[in-house]
Amino acid sequence: MDAVLQVENLTKQYSGFRLEQVSFSIPKGTIMGLIGENGAGKSTTIKAILGLIHKDGGKVRFWGGESGLSKHQKEKIGVVFDEMGFYETLTPAKVGSISKAAYRQWDGTLYLSYLNRFALPLEKEIKTFSRGMKRKLSIATALSHHPDLLILDEATSGLDPVMRDDMLDVFLEFVQDENHSVLMSSHITTDLEKIADYITLMHQGKVLFCKTKDELRYRYGIIRCGAAVFDRIEKEEILACRKDDYQWNVLVADKEKARRKYKTAVVDDATIDDILLLHVKGEKTK
Amino acid sequence: MKSFILKDLYNISRNARSMLFILVVFAVFLVPASGVADYIFVCAILCSMMIVTTFSFDDSSKWTQYAMIMPVSRKDLVAGKFVVLAIFCTVGNVLGLALGTVSGLITNKITFAPAKVGELLVFTLTAGAVSLVFGGMSIPLVLRFGAEKGRVLMLVSFLIPSAICFGVYRLLVMAGVELTDRLISVLLCCSPVIALIWCYGMYRISCLIFSKQEL
Repeated sequence: MDAVLQVENLTKQYSGFRLEQVSFSIPKGTIMGLIGENGAGKSTTIKAILGLIHKDGGKVRFWGGESGLSKHQKEKIGVVFDEMGFYETLTPAKVGSISKAAYRQWDGTLYLSYLNRFALPLEKEIKTFSRGMKRKLSIATALSHHPDLLILDEATSGLDPVMRDDMLDVFLEFVQDENHSVLMSSHITTDLEKIADYITLMHQGKVLFCKTKDELRYRYGIIRCGAAVFDRIEKEEILACRKDDYQWNVLVADKEKARRKYKTAVVDDATIDDILLLHVKGEKTK
Repeated sequence: MKSFILKDLYNISRNARSMLFILVVFAVFLVPASGVADYIFVCAILCSMMIVTTFSFDDSSKWTQYAMIMPVSRKDLVAGKFVVLAIFCTVGNVLGLALGTVSGLITNKITFAPAKVGELLVFTLTAGAVSLVFGGMSIPLVLRFGAEKGRVLMLVSFLIPSAICFGVYRLLVMAGVELTDRLISVLLCCSPVIALIWCYGMYRISCLIFSKQEL
């Protein structure tokens, strides 16, 4: 596997929160979704990857290099945070000038084409922009120096569905080049369900799993059953479970096997939202 | 680093208009009362303190976090702030000299006698040095304590170098060194060099503070 980013045993201790042995890797040409509830450690992980916070342990390798992020590697990374980073009296034209001075590979023509595509006025101050327009400007800026890796921290949160869909199209277009990859953290799992190739689930600072989206979609299932059937389910099969008012919801890794084995129970397909909810709010995890 | 300088200049351009207006008002009222030399000092120090304002803009837009994903180092960001400070001080000095001269000529506070012109240039040089020292002190303080405490830190930026100068003066007095006019002139002429050494020290301290910061 040709990994663009390898995170190995990343650890960071805060008072009241610990990022614990976080490991995952992003293969070339893929989109990795980082999901988890608010406070699960997604943003802390991204900050540690980018060297914005000092990690207590572990390694972060870009393109198989040494642990850490060099200036040369930063040239090849585009980042979009929740906040824009530019003061509100600046205009997209000035943002372009600032970025041009920072990146050797800055492509002014490409930047202008993104501004046109996103219908962003060149000379209007950022403070007049809607949240969606600001996010589009961030994405235009992140993409206009020809990055190979795009890191998005809650890039679609707070946007309406139409705007989100526009953004997702841009990301899908970006990974059409097989050298391009995306790491996208979000708690909007439906976005990741649309575009991600891999899903890493974080909970309380730990990685619960890192799997292909297809495995989650096509193999994972939820057994919905009463107490009698629940008692018959082998505990090794239960990844997570939760009791509703009248039934048990049990997350299993092989829904077809469950359908054959527990014929009296209903076994539904599991969405990423279901998987996240059961892992986070469930009574037991494997 | 060029991008950081450009960003600060763009950000401050709006405030620059108000600052120019304030300097013109001061030229009208301060020069007749206190003279051109004092006015140049005020201009240089006011402009140098705009460096604290640039930190406030950075804080409110979360710029620092964004800046560190650009292909630059933390040292570049700190160095950029000192270059911007030097630009502000130079602009403050030049404006102070220009507006002060105009106002001084109108109010008959200065003449173009060679000795007076030389004196004014020495004052301008010293004002630049003093503003660099005060501004240079504010950068590590703002990096350490944050821009929201800007006003208090500005005061501290004045107090610390002033206390050091007073301490040095007391030591010289205790050592029996007499501060003659000639010695004072030499010190004033050397002040830009002293300011540059001071700024280098502040730059190193700022780099140390910023390298430990979590963004």
